[in-house]
Amino acid sequence: MDQKETSQYNSNPDNAIRDQVRYRTAVRTAIVAGLFSAIVCVLLLSNHFRTSFSGPLESEELVRLKTLLLENTKDENLKNRIRELDSHLRNEYFQRQNYSRWGSYLLIGGIIIFLISVAKAIGYRKIFSAPQSIFNYQIATERNANLAFRSVIIMIAVLGAVTLLTITSSQNLTFTAGVEPEQITNIWPRFRGPDGLGISTYKNIPTRWNGSTGENILWKTKIPLPGENSPIIWGNKIFLTGANEKKREVYCLDAESGKLLWQKAVPTLPQAASEPPDVMEDTGFAAPTAVTDGQRIYAIFANGDVICLNFTGKIIWAGNLGIPDSIYGYATSLVMYQNLLIIKYDQATDEDGLSKLLALEGSSGKTVWEVKRPVANSWSTPIIINADTPEKARLITCADPLVIAYAPDTGAEIWRVKCMYGDVAPSPVYANGLVYVIRPNEELIAIRTNGHNDVTDSHIAWRGEEGIPDIASPLTNGKIVLLLSGGLITCYDAENGTHLWEKELEMDFNASPSLVGNRIYLMNTKGIMLIIEAGREFREITKCPLGENVNACPAFADGRIYLRGKKHLFCISEK
Amino acid sequence: MMRLSHILLCVLCTTLLLYASGAAFGAERFPPPQFESGHELPLTITPPPRSPTYELIDMAVLLGALSLASWLALKKRSRRGIFYLTIFSLVYFGFWRKGCVCPIGAIQNVTLALFDSGYVIPVSVIFFFALPLVFTLFFGRTFCAAVCPLGAIQDLVLIHPLQLPRWLEYPLGLLGYVYLGAAVLFAATGSAFIICQYDPFVGFFRLSGSLEILIMGVCFLLIGLFIGRPYCRFFCPYGAILRILSWFSKWRVTTTPDECIQCRLCENACPFGAIQAPYTAPAPSNYRTGRIKLLVLTILFPFVIIAFGWAGTQLAPTFSRMNSRVRLAERIHLEETGRVEDTIDESDAFRATGQPIGELYDEAILIGKQFTRGSMFFGVFVGLVAMLKLTALTTRRTRINFEPDRSRCFACGRCFDYCPRERARGELTCGSKPHPTG
Repeated sequence: MDQKETSQYNSNPDNAIRDQVRYRTAVRTAIVAGLFSAIVCVLLLSNHFRTSFSGPLESEELVRLKTLLLENTKDENLKNRIRELDSHLRNEYFQRQNYSRWGSYLLIGGIIIFLISVAKAIGYRKIFSAPQSIFNYQIATERNANLAFRSVIIMIAVLGAVTLLTITSSQNLTFTAGVEPEQITNIWPRFRGPDGLGISTYKNIPTRWNGSTGENILWKTKIPLPGENSPIIWGNKIFLTGANEKKREVYCLDAESGKLLWQKAVPTLPQAASEPPDVMEDTGFAAPTAVTDGQRIYAIFANGDVICLNFTGKIIWAGNLGIPDSIYGYATSLVMYQNLLIIKYDQATDEDGLSKLLALEGSSGKTVWEVKRPVANSWSTPIIINADTPEKARLITCADPLVIAYAPDTGAEIWRVKCMYGDVAPSPVYANGLVYVIRPNEELIAIRTNGHNDVTDSHIAWRGEEGIPDIASPLTNGKIVLLLSGGLITCYDAENGTHLWEKELEMDFNASPSLVGNRIYLMNTKGIMLIIEAGREFREITKCPLGENVNACPAFADGRIYLRGKKHLFCISEK
Repeated sequence: MMRLSHILLCVLCTTLLLYASGAAFGAERFPPPQFESGHELPLTITPPPRSPTYELIDMAVLLGALSLASWLALKKRSRRGIFYLTIFSLVYFGFWRKGCVCPIGAIQNVTLALFDSGYVIPVSVIFFFALPLVFTLFFGRTFCAAVCPLGAIQDLVLIHPLQLPRWLEYPLGLLGYVYLGAAVLFAATGSAFIICQYDPFVGFFRLSGSLEILIMGVCFLLIGLFIGRPYCRFFCPYGAILRILSWFSKWRVTTTPDECIQCRLCENACPFGAIQAPYTAPAPSNYRTGRIKLLVLTILFPFVIIAFGWAGTQLAPTFSRMNSRVRLAERIHLEETGRVEDTIDESDAFRATGQPIGELYDEAILIGKQFTRGSMFFGVFVGLVAMLKLTALTTRRTRINFEPDRSRCFACGRCFDYCPRERARGELTCGSKPHPTG
């Protein structure tokens, strides 16, 4: 490129001399202003660090004096020294801030003068370039446009790459599950599984193990405190509770290793009675099974303590409902419906008016609704049917003398059947529009669930009187209903109540039966799991000994059974 | 001189950085003393809204400044006048009004008002948003020339301008549109006013602000010593709108006051690279290449738009985290699921309100859905701008004279003094030689 450069004002010597003088003045002014600005800046910076690193309340001397005051709270001299020092430090702090503000103004002034001086100096030496003698703008324009075209494409590619990187590294918004999505399937969040029906969604459950030899026992972990409650599972965590007269604890175990990840003691709550409740030895102080919504774990104990913890064992809230008047000790497990923790708190007699049903907000423990129940103390756990359709969802509860269905979101009673009597411990089950409830030792009753108000005379589908239990809950797959009473296994046709078969065994069952595919798992009190076919006739598949007495119900996960013995939690998995 | 100026500029750089750290004082707080003497601490009060009278004054000043800028740039053709008006705007709209309300930030208010019926937008904000647009439609970017305080502060520090190559200027010009799209997206969802949040110069106007933003502002000013108005040219979202509107402006600034004598003295006059060289017609080979490019772009057009729209939707989760409710919901979720053990002030405050967590989650999910839709439009918008930019680069407009690019000319008037016709006019009208300023 052929380029000539000419100075704008150098043609006249007088002008040149004048501009030279002005140029020098501008440069010197710029130097002075620059130096001034730099000095002000150093002072400001020093002041900034002094102020920001030593706030008035962070003075070592002040902290020391305050510590001394804690030891001698009545030392008036010390108090006065602290006040004087505090006042002095605050004054000093604000003086520094004032100093900084004025310094900023000076700095701005210095910078403005500096900029003007530099601009002037450059202006006096400004070189105007002459036009190029020969230059093809046509070619230059084409070349520039082509280069710009390519660079815009590169810019689009860069934006695309940044977008892709962002997309691959970002996670979607998820607020529902407490574990990773792939682990959500491994859930057994409450007593007897997701619907409280004792049915496993997994078919690959072990059918062979031996606790004595260790065959297919993946791990076993001693649980610090006793409890008859059953384990619950969410993802790779297992939760259960334990308690004695003095202590109540929640445990979290790692599902893979059985390692006790944390145990949390329930603190002494201000509302809690100082004396422990009277409970039967078989019931104990931790019979109710905990429940989880994937974000929190909720547990209740025989003395009325209710506690909510997050998955790290941090207490979110806790409260006490008062010691329930329960002749064997409180044993009803907790239930979740959406964000509500539902507590069936039946006690005393139906005439005492103490029984109630509560729904607490899971996140806060605040009572959302509460209804009185005209029933006596009971030990059965409610189930929620049609939970997926809120307008049809019903909370089914059993106690002497009523089976009552509530709307779980409001607590409103929908229907009731007066058919119960005695100490109701078995929980209801449901299939194909029929709820099956146990009147202990007397009747199995099938109730149609589409009624309103008192449907005692209209909605009982059928009754059975053979092999009625008093503790274990029934099991149904919609085709048969299976009962466990002492050592007697009884099977009914689920649709019409026809007595299909019964089998007397020299065993005793407290744990409720469970269904895995077409197999029924029956855990007796000695820890022997009897596995039979779920059919219209009795057929034993196998027996598997655990080597420890059991009252709790098993929990099922992918390829595994978790069983709580009297002392240990076992994980069974076929290797 | 060059060496000396470089030394001085280094001093300035250091000074500005140190100033940034000094100005960050405003954020510091500590608890008040606890009085046992019965002294009652004064209640914290919310400052009353700005008086309507002052708002009227602001609007009048804006109208006056825009009118004056247009007159100075188009009629009077006075660089000196524009320079003084720039200083006035910096002082009034910048330091006195502390950079608020400004038309750039008003984009967000207007957007929010369009998408949120519950948001009442002040008349003054609409005025500030719309008036510069109207003036641009008539007189070109005279708002940028001498009224915008952000432009003013950059304009005044431009002491040694360097020309940026066109291949760099064009792609960087895309960023302003991306910023505009993002600002509209975040404002429409009620998530954030990112233009104000990341305004690099407002910290100087207020002598306060976060250290990060102040350092960003200092960096812009340091770059602005050599590269004219970097924020205006490559990032300003309002500038992106003005660029489009200025294509349709009825009158605009010209280098020469009457006729171009083809002296070519002004070819490097513009520090912003806005002066375009003459162009007649492409060579046959270039013409053919251009047609092929145009054909390819036309075919690719819908696919690129769809791809950008898809990419936008994929960015929705990331974007939605700009929303404070979404961030709070995620934090609460982390705490609730035990992925973090401690709590933060925001989560404690939320729990103290007693609002069910489920409601917060539902709200966050709803906001997430809004972002999915909005991000798709954002992606489509960016794709559209990119494709139009490429299309514009394949087409040529014929020019006989050197003339300012309509969209990129800030109407600052620096080029006036380079034109012999202008100097002749100045001598005729004033009887003396106009002095180059700035």
